[in-house]
Order: sequence, then structure tokens, then C-alpha cells
Amino acid sequence: MMKITRLFQWTIFGIIGLFGVIGFTNAVVTITAIDQDLTREARENSQDIAKAIADGNVDILLNNDLSTLQSRIDQMLSLLGSNGYIYITDENDEIIAHTFVPHIPEQISTGEITGDIIERTLKGKGDFIEVSHPILAGVGGNVHIGVDQGDVSLMIQGAMGNQVWPLAITFLVAIVLGILLVNLAARPIQQLLHYAVALAKKESVDEPHNEKLLERKDEAGDLARLYQYFALVADPNRSGIDAK
Amino acid sequence: MNTKKTDRLSNPTRRTIVKGLAASPLVLALGANKLGAQELSQMSSNTQSSNSEFVNGVSDSQIVLGTSAAFTGPSRGLGIELYRGAMAYFQDVNSKGGVHGREITLKLYDDGYQPDPAVNNTTKLMRDDKVFALFGYVGTPTVTRVLPLLKKFQDENFLLFFPFTGAQPQRQLPYGPFAFNLRASYRQETGGLVENFVKVGREKVGVFYQADAYGRSGWAGCREALAKHNLKMVGEATYTRGTQYTASLKDQVEWFMRDKPDAIVCIGAYAACAAFLRDAVDGGLQIPIANLSFVGSENLLKLITDDDEIEHAEQYSQFLVNSQVVPSYNDLSLEGVQLYDEFMTKNAPSAPSEVTSDDEEYKTFDRSFVSLEGFLNAKLMTEILTRLGPEPTREGVEEAVFSIQDLDLGIGETVSFNEDRRQGLDRVYYTIVENGSFVPLRDWDSASNSWTEAASS
Repeated sequence: MMKITRLFQWTIFGIIGLFGVIGFTNAVVTITAIDQDLTREARENSQDIAKAIADGNVDILLNNDLSTLQSRIDQMLSLLGSNGYIYITDENDEIIAHTFVPHIPEQISTGEITGDIIERTLKGKGDFIEVSHPILAGVGGNVHIGVDQGDVSLMIQGAMGNQVWPLAITFLVAIVLGILLVNLAARPIQQLLHYAVALAKKESVDEPHNEKLLERKDEAGDLARLYQYFALVADPNRSGIDAK
Repeated sequence: MNTKKTDRLSNPTRRTIVKGLAASPLVLALGANKLGAQELSQMSSNTQSSNSEFVNGVSDSQIVLGTSAAFTGPSRGLGIELYRGAMAYFQDVNSKGGVHGREITLKLYDDGYQPDPAVNNTTKLMRDDKVFALFGYVGTPTVTRVLPLLKKFQDENFLLFFPFTGAQPQRQLPYGPFAFNLRASYRQETGGLVENFVKVGREKVGVFYQADAYGRSGWAGCREALAKHNLKMVGEATYTRGTQYTASLKDQVEWFMRDKPDAIVCIGAYAACAAFLRDAVDGGLQIPIANLSFVGSENLLKLITDDDEIEHAEQYSQFLVNSQVVPSYNDLSLEGVQLYDEFMTKNAPSAPSEVTSDDEEYKTFDRSFVSLEGFLNAKLMTEILTRLGPEPTREGVEEAVFSIQDLDLGIGETVSFNEDRRQGLDRVYYTIVENGSFVPLRDWDSASNSWTEAASS
């Protein structure tokens, strides 16, 4: 277990807190951006698919070749995740092709179809973002694409996971490094403390690590030499002290 | 197994078929275990020398047709029976020296009734195997996806003959000119069923269909037929292609129970339609349940009558009414059916072991509507190849087909083709189950009364 010096406890807590705030802010910003980007991307993909179906099958629709139309939308369905759906309405808003099993959800078969992008909850299926695109400016009907928000959420969670793991690991590494660095900084003070205690108890201080301490050019070295001076002033006959 | 393969080689007709397939590594690998080294060596070298002489699927001794169909999976019965029917006829033709001295060979691939494998198989048939023509495909979702390949390779004059589907894409532009159909369309089948239901006062028609191009084709046919009477569908439900008989379709049945239709038309394959019939009758939806010819009537009936857990199989079959695109195989007053009966006995075609799976047990039927259709397909194909003359080319095929006018296939209907008519037959037959087998339905009023009585009892 890594021991934290009492002197720097608040410093460490401060560093952890700071890293936490930075990490949390970073995560929130990243997650929000990912959420917005992927949601927008899912909508745009759906709109592209709807447009591709609407623009690419005009002849098929005009020929009333519904089996070929069904074949085309079946091919597109795999692009919409495990639970997506496609349905096509004619100019009278009647559904002429779809991918629903075991039946067209009541909310769709009986509901009014409005808006380019709507959000729906289908009983037993989940929450969906549904986009629409007109066929021949609407006179040929509309293509409707539903993307399961659960699938989008899973995709977002996956992307978030990819972002959050590196952030969390960086956070932990930073904390460990912070503690190590603080402990490194605190080590001369601990040595100084032990040296001062030994002087006060009139114990032998003729040790190599004390020699190193006294030779330091920093504040710890200055303080050690000052304690040595005080010790000699207090007891000029004291042995074992090589005055610096 | 060893004996089986040796027998196959000792039969000159079968040998031709195996020879055509022998180039495939699978067959060579299987054969290596089962044949003597000398026999295998002889078979391979024959094939290699034959292959070197092939031009667009035609050699001096063979003409090769390419087939991709369901030989595995829940709809394998359709591919297997269609193949068996065709082979009953081709084997006879080959045993008599073939067409202008060439034996007819089928190059088979299994697509499991899935579109992507069907597309890959067709590419192989066109690019690698370079077959003469495509023949005997099974299914709408598969054929619908294959049609653009015919357009892509139109310079090479590939044509698709007699697919086992009544869907519209190969009957109309833009792909109509690349296919010839023998059977009536789903529009005609659904139109006939709806018409007859409406005539007997069953105007509330629901549709249960496969969620794909096939289901949509039948759904559109029902919708169109109902619209002629200013009626709309009363309830619709779907199932996923590949659904097994063991699956529960109670959700779909409950959905129909809300709308209370007078009759339901099913656009599906036998496993799912049998499961739906079972769950519908068990769930109290005791109304006539119709199926199209594609369903594979005998396979469906077998499922609902062979189930050990079913105590009274007739309680399911009494609500069954199936449309067919060929006459009853029991109607031996028809010359063509008589011939089919004779050839099925004489040649006893087996399931194609090269493409079926050992893991999936399948028991063939002595007679079936599907194999009769395969038989008639083969008969008409042979006629076309005969009319092509001793030097057959793909370029000449259309002309040979268009020369067919009022051809009698022996089923009481004549067949004619021209630029605007690329479908041979239009007649739809209706059948119900009596004493465990399908019999012609001649009186819809009486049948409707019996359905009502059965439901009330």
C-alpha cells in the first residue's frame, strides 16, 4: 500500500480532485459530442437509405412491381441494425411494402404519418427514430425508415466505452504518478525529521544517509546543517558530529 | 453407400449426370471414397476431355443446363421434388440417346432458398461453368435477385427457363425478356382463390405471407383481386423466411383473431404454412386456409399428418385448400400425367446427393404436384432443345421457343409462346384434402358449407 506523507495529503487530494474534474469534464464533453454525432449520423444514414430507395426504385414503383421493391428493401434492412424497419406508403398513405414480422405495428398501421423525422415507441419493439423521404416529390408515396434507438444507444455506449476507458486509465496513472512524485518530494523532509530526532535524542548520526542529507544543496540540506549547528551549540563536546 | 454409387455408374443415364458434375472438387472428393481408383480415373478423364470440347454448355455428347435451387434447409423439399420430376423425364430422353445425340445434363448448386447464395451460384454457372441455359430455379426471393445477372450478361444470351415461382419480376419489364415461364403466375393463383372465396360469400379475406419478395408478390395479387370487388384485406401477418414447423406462429394467429377474416390466403413455404395451419386451428381460427402452389402441398400435408402429437390430423387438413398450377397427379385420364406416372415409376429419380445434406433427412414422395411441374418443365425444355436442331446456340433459343404454338403437353392445355407471351400455362387448379390426399375441388359452395360445419362442430 502506497503511503501518503501527511504533509502533502491535501496536495494529493487536490491533485486527485483536479484530475477528476479534468477527466469528468473531458468525459462529459466527449460523450455529449459522441452522442450528438452518432445520433445525427444514424439519422443521416437512415435519410440516405430512404433517399436511395425512393430515388432508385421509381420505375419499379410505377410498374407496380412490389416483389422487386420488397427485394430491394430487404437488402437494405441489414444496414439498419437488428431491429430496424422499412415501409413504403403509396400516394394514399397505404403501406405497400414493409419488413415487419409478425405484423405491421398498430401505431403505424392506424397512426397518421407525419414529419420527416419523428420519434416513435412501438409496443413490444422499443423506441425508434423514423425518417421519411418522398418518392417523386411525394406523388409516388413515401419511404419510411425506422432505426431502433436502442441500437443507436448501444452504438453510442460502445463509442463512449472506447473513450472512457483511456480516460479512466489516464486518470489512475496520473494519481499514482502524483503520489509517487509527492512522496519523492517528501523523502528529504522525512530524512530531515529522522536526523533532527536523532540529534535531539543524542543518538549517533554518523550514517551515510545523514552525510548525503548534509551535503544537499537545497533547503533540506540547509536545515540539516542548521540543526547540526544548534546541536553543537547546545553541546559543544558532542562526539560523532562532523561539523559542516 | 458404395453400392449406391456403383449402381449409379452402372446406369448410363445417371452416369451422364454424375459426369457433368465430376469436375467439382466436392464430387471428386466424395467419389474418391466411394469409387474404385480405376473408375474415378476414367470418370475424371472423360469429363476433362468432354470439358475441353464444351462451347457455351454444349459438347458433341452433352448439353448442360444450370440449376440453383433449395436442396437444403426448410424448403429443400421444393428443390428436391422439382429436380426429381425433371430427372424422371431427362433420364428417359438420355436413355434414348438424348437430343440430337446429346445427353441433357444438369449442373446443380444448392442455394438453400437464400438470395445471396443464389446470386453466387448463378455467377458460377454463367462465368465458370458456362452452361447453356439456366433451368429449374426455385423461389421468388432468389430468382428476383438473379434476374439482374441475366441482364448484365445479356450479350451472352443466357435465358432462365421455367423457374418455380409465379412472381411478376420475370414476367414483366425490365427482366421479362430474359425468362420463360411455364406455370401460371401468383396473380392468377391469388386472383382465382380470392374470386372463389368472394363467390361463396367469404369476402373478409386475410393474408398470411412470407416477409420477402415472394410474400409481397402474393400479397399484391390478393390486394389486386380484392380491389376488383371493392374489398380490402381483412388482416395481414407475416413470418420470416426459413421458419421451421416447430416454430410457434400464435402471434400471427392472434392478430388474425382480432380481425376475424372469413378465409386466409397463405403465401409461404410448407414448413411455416403447416405451422400456421396448426396454430390457427388450435387457436380457434377455423376458417378455410388457402395456400399457393409454391407451398409444396405434399410436404405440408406430411407435416400436419405425421406429427406424433397430433391426434386428429384431419381437423387441420379439413380447412386446407391449395391452388395448383398443374393438374392432379392422380388424374391418369391425362396423357401427360400418365407419362409422368410411368416415368416416375420406371426411372425412380432420387434426391441429388451431390447437393443435399446428410444431416437433413428427407423422404421423397412417390408423386407430387411439384415433381409433376418439374416433369412438365423438362418435357418442354426437351422440346425447345429439339427444335434448336443439331447445332444449338444460345442465340437461337428464343426463336426455337417462339416456334412453339399450341403444343400439347398432355395435360389438357396447350402451350404457345411469342414476344408478348413468355408464360406457357394460365390455368389454376384448386384442391382440398380427402382421405389423406389432395383431390380436385370442384364445388366451392359445398366446400364452403363443409368449412362452416367443421368450424361449428
